[in-house]
Amino acid sequence: MAKYRVVFLEEASEHLEDMSRALLELEREPGQGEAIDLVFRMAHSIKGMAASLGYDPITEVAHRLEDRMQGVRTAGRVEDDDLALLWKGFEGIEAMLAAVRDTGEVPPTDRGLARALASAEALRKKKVLSPS
Amino acid sequence: MARILVADDASFMRQIIRDILESDGHEIVAEASDGIQAVEEWKKHHPDVVTMDIVMPRRSGIDAVRAIAAIDATARVVMCSALGQETLVTEALQAGACDFIVKPFKPDAVLATLRRVLEKGDA
Repeated sequence: MAKYRVVFLEEASEHLEDMSRALLELEREPGQGEAIDLVFRMAHSIKGMAASLGYDPITEVAHRLEDRMQGVRTAGRVEDDDLALLWKGFEGIEAMLAAVRDTGEVPPTDRGLARALASAEALRKKKVLSPS
Repeated sequence: MARILVADDASFMRQIIRDILESDGHEIVAEASDGIQAVEEWKKHHPDVVTMDIVMPRRSGIDAVRAIAAIDATARVVMCSALGQETLVTEALQAGACDFIVKPFKPDAVLATLRRVLEKGDA
């Protein structure tokens, strides 16, 4: 378990660095397809790794981020509201990784963050289904 | 025991599946971190089985399966999927994959799937 935790922390931190660069790119160019794909893949990958170690709170936030990015992929661009929320998700995962690194334990789920990410995606789907 | 190619963009996931497979005596002949590399390594090694992640950079796991199946329709590729990827798994099976395992990997489930796939191929 300790061996896997070390590899997980190293790789998840690299993924967050990539995600951060891609989010900055999306601030400059909201329709940048490669950056959108990269954030999606990094969230997906962190979700899979965290799930393998039973780090459910990280899995949940990464899953919500991935879902949100799936919506962004469909839309083809990020909106300003998306970016603010995606950064919050990024910071949430970053904080949880730091806690695992410092204590060996994953902190409890940030329910507010998970709900905010889920609500944003639900709202997007509703808009797609019933455009005004 | 089987010769296996492991394709996943996360080295963490490759390590986990390698440990599970090697614990049962299988040999990992190569690893790939994207779909293009997976096809290249398959051509080099002609493994008995490939474990293939779906979401990978440069070329997806589904495209890689399609490319391998176009070369050898009897190639055995097991997809590694996450919960919620049922549509993609169906697409991969249609593209030529022969089975799938769901992340997070459970050693018993992974080895049972591998046995099933190897037995199917031997039949």
